Amino acid sequence: MRTVDVIIVGAGLSAAAAAKRLVDSGLETLVLERQKLPRHKICSGILSPRGHRFLLENFGPLPREVLHDPVSCRGVTFHFPSGVSMPMDFFGGTTPHLHRKFSDHWAIKQSGAEVHDQTSFIGLQDHGDHVIVQARKNGEPVEYRARYVIGADGPSSPVTRAIYPDYPQSIPWFFVGQKFHEIIECPLDEQYFHFWFHPGLGHYTWSHARDGRQIVGVGFKSGDNFAKKHANVVNYLGEKHGVRLGEPLDDEGCAENFGPSLVNRYVFGKGNVLITGQAGGFLNMIGEGMSCALHSGAISGEAIVEARLRNRPVQEMYRKMIASEVRRTTDQWNPLKIAFDRPHEADFPAALMALGWRDRARVLRDMWRFVVLYKEFNWGRQIFKAAVQRPLIGGYSMRHWR
Amino acid sequence: MTTATSERTSIEHGTIGPCHVGPDSLIDIKRQQTNPSRWKGESWSAFAAALCDFGIELRESVAARGTFATDAGGTAYGLPHGVVIARSAVQVSLLLKAAQQHRVPVTVRGGGLTTEGESVAFGGVLLDMTGMSRVLHIDTEALTVRTEAGIFWHSLAEELRRVNMDYLSAPLNLTSSVGGTLGVGGIDVNSPRLGCSADQALALQVVTPTGDIVECSDTHNAELFQRVILGYGQFGVITEATLKIRRYTPLRMHYFYYDSLRTAIEDMQLLNRNDASDYSGILTIMDCAVNLLVAFDSDEREAAFKANWQPKLRGHGEFGFALRMALRYALRPWKLGEAWFLFKRKRDIFPEFRRSEYLRDGLMHDRTVVFSRAVWKFWGSKQMVIPDLATSADKFVEAVERGNQVCRKYFPHYTLYLVGIKLRPEHKPHYEMSCIPSDAEGWAYGCEFEPMIDGHVYSRDHLQSFKNAIYDIGVELGGSYYRFGGMMKGYIRRVFGDEVVDRHLAMKRRADPAMILNREVIF
Repeated sequence: MRTVDVIIVGAGLSAAAAAKRLVDSGLETLVLERQKLPRHKICSGILSPRGHRFLLENFGPLPREVLHDPVSCRGVTFHFPSGVSMPMDFFGGTTPHLHRKFSDHWAIKQSGAEVHDQTSFIGLQDHGDHVIVQARKNGEPVEYRARYVIGADGPSSPVTRAIYPDYPQSIPWFFVGQKFHEIIECPLDEQYFHFWFHPGLGHYTWSHARDGRQIVGVGFKSGDNFAKKHANVVNYLGEKHGVRLGEPLDDEGCAENFGPSLVNRYVFGKGNVLITGQAGGFLNMIGEGMSCALHSGAISGEAIVEARLRNRPVQEMYRKMIASEVRRTTDQWNPLKIAFDRPHEADFPAALMALGWRDRARVLRDMWRFVVLYKEFNWGRQIFKAAVQRPLIGGYSMRHWR
Repeated sequence: MTTATSERTSIEHGTIGPCHVGPDSLIDIKRQQTNPSRWKGESWSAFAAALCDFGIELRESVAARGTFATDAGGTAYGLPHGVVIARSAVQVSLLLKAAQQHRVPVTVRGGGLTTEGESVAFGGVLLDMTGMSRVLHIDTEALTVRTEAGIFWHSLAEELRRVNMDYLSAPLNLTSSVGGTLGVGGIDVNSPRLGCSADQALALQVVTPTGDIVECSDTHNAELFQRVILGYGQFGVITEATLKIRRYTPLRMHYFYYDSLRTAIEDMQLLNRNDASDYSGILTIMDCAVNLLVAFDSDEREAAFKANWQPKLRGHGEFGFALRMALRYALRPWKLGEAWFLFKRKRDIFPEFRRSEYLRDGLMHDRTVVFSRAVWKFWGSKQMVIPDLATSADKFVEAVERGNQVCRKYFPHYTLYLVGIKLRPEHKPHYEMSCIPSDAEGWAYGCEFEPMIDGHVYSRDHLQSFKNAIYDIGVELGGSYYRFGGMMKGYIRRVFGDEVVDRHLAMKRRADPAMILNREVIF
């Protein structure tokens, strides 16, 4: 049985960040990835400037091969049913449009960790002073022994399910799907990521350009029909924005967990097993999860290093250290922060104030109607409590974390 | 991906790689990897064999290497492939020659008190200078000492005290090494009068990156001397140093208390401009209790200060300040938590500076021990997070006030340490691309912003964000930093400009063709 210091499940950006911290400190680190690398990853690829800086400072300048075309994104444009559009540039200038297949592979290689791809995580047993991890490589069962395990395996994390079997039932799940269309005519500015606050379209509706095609995506509560929802969005874009698209050439979709960062219900693991990245519930507003995946992943690695140095339980270290990333992520959903601070990497309050007072009122009305779409999840009270808590205790309560 | 990898490896150290994202991406932030990748160790075996042939002991066990995994900052981690304890200049020379030949990175470490990973080895060999820690000669007539450069300042002070001598200027944290200090600056509370610790060096023995053993001073091999002093270890390993010393005197201490940073800074600058004190500096408890420390070596200087300058200071005595604080918090009951912290802090710290073994007849003996002990006891923690700003005199108040706001945003409790540095016109060549801001005339001023981490644990991202917020102020004000290497090297080109950095890079390449010596520190 192979014995290492740390096993990381998943080979995405959070895994690469965790691996970087662990390898730097001299810990033998093994990454298990279900697919063959480099592997495809469903993602908008629009990384926030903060995430870009992390990649740059920890892994070096980005090679051209890890970027889609257009290589960068200038900002976000919000569109409202009343016809108002609000383009907002990122504070840090243009930001990378990552090709996740190659960017993730590049980052994990740069981390210096050993990678076992085509190795599926099956389960684990935490024995207090070590963890036994069961996996399957090329169909054959294989076991590993590690002091710590990090689950960095995305929203439908098998590691999270192994530790919290009830977790998938405890949160609402969404389906996000995108189709890649041939462009006949598209007046949407290709330098921006476009997002619609439109309750009639879906819980999360977006479009942007990639490699000569136009992506049209929609997210909705699991169980609804993707084809219908998507067709509805395409029709809307045609009618309201003059977007003319050919038949979709390709499509993809996956399950997403939007809720945990919104209502401060993160999962961080038990004993010697840490959960990080989107598996832990990190997701920025407008659905960008890469920057908080990078930072939370790095923190999970740091927590293991600190736990060893200080001879303290790793969960104690992780939960103390992850508080800063929780603040940063949950602030983005906090209405008081949005109104009176600048928690995002684009200036929404300034863009709003730049509108005439009629348009301002329309935008606020449309946003309220959009928020009402989420009423069925009963998040309102939790969001209110978290928002009030923030100035009082300087952060968000750890009591709701698992 | 083959192309991507080859592109990465072809980027030379010190140069900025291409940006495929866009020229307006991360505006003004240089595209440098500040948390380096580990050197792959391609030629390690041949290098290790060469050291073995030279009879140099190379320690490769995990335990030996793990000791050096991080520095006092605790935010950068890396492991060398092996560790060599420095024994002599000849040994260091042989090591550097072999390293040049095999292109093996060499990281030099003294006390390991860097805070940005400057003394952390990301692979390659770590040269531990503490093996060279003997005092070679003390000349009580010429007032000089010749010492090996790996010695800690407290050990040097101890040796000097035996012959009733003292060093002129050293950092408050005395477990830093002499060689490391000369490479970066070294600030003491007498720096407003004497300059930084590096200014006290008269001559050095340096082993160049190509292994030559060279003696240098202001008059002999002056160009090398200029580059090595405040050179961040880029142009050679300091193996021996000749330093100015003085006869030992106890200090006559005075403390003045302020509730305004601006007023305290103005008063400190007034004293410095008029050479009114032998020592001065400001230590604070957040921005609530600001203590201007003034001290003297002689009764005459103290009497002149009392007669001419003390009446002009706007600070209060301890009792008067306590009354002001009581009134202030009586009117602001919602800040009682802050008042309680101040009270506790005063109760803990003040007796430390008045311990009977050091304070006799109103004179402080062994300030080195008093200050260094206090630094570790009350300001030290597992992670020394001390971003700083260095500016000219006229920008200093703004720099401190803005940095103070950053501290308030990130941490509940913190301290500031402010001190002036007298500039020596004849040392101007040393100051280029150093902690001394290019626009400073007469004095440069520095402020360290140090959060009280206590028992808290913060993510490195939180600490780095705090540091970046401080460093950004330096960029905006056109200042410099006492520490600007390692993980904050992304600020070097932003602060000094490409022309200056590229000129130093060209000098570095000439001196160190394989770019092996402390190569992750600056470039």
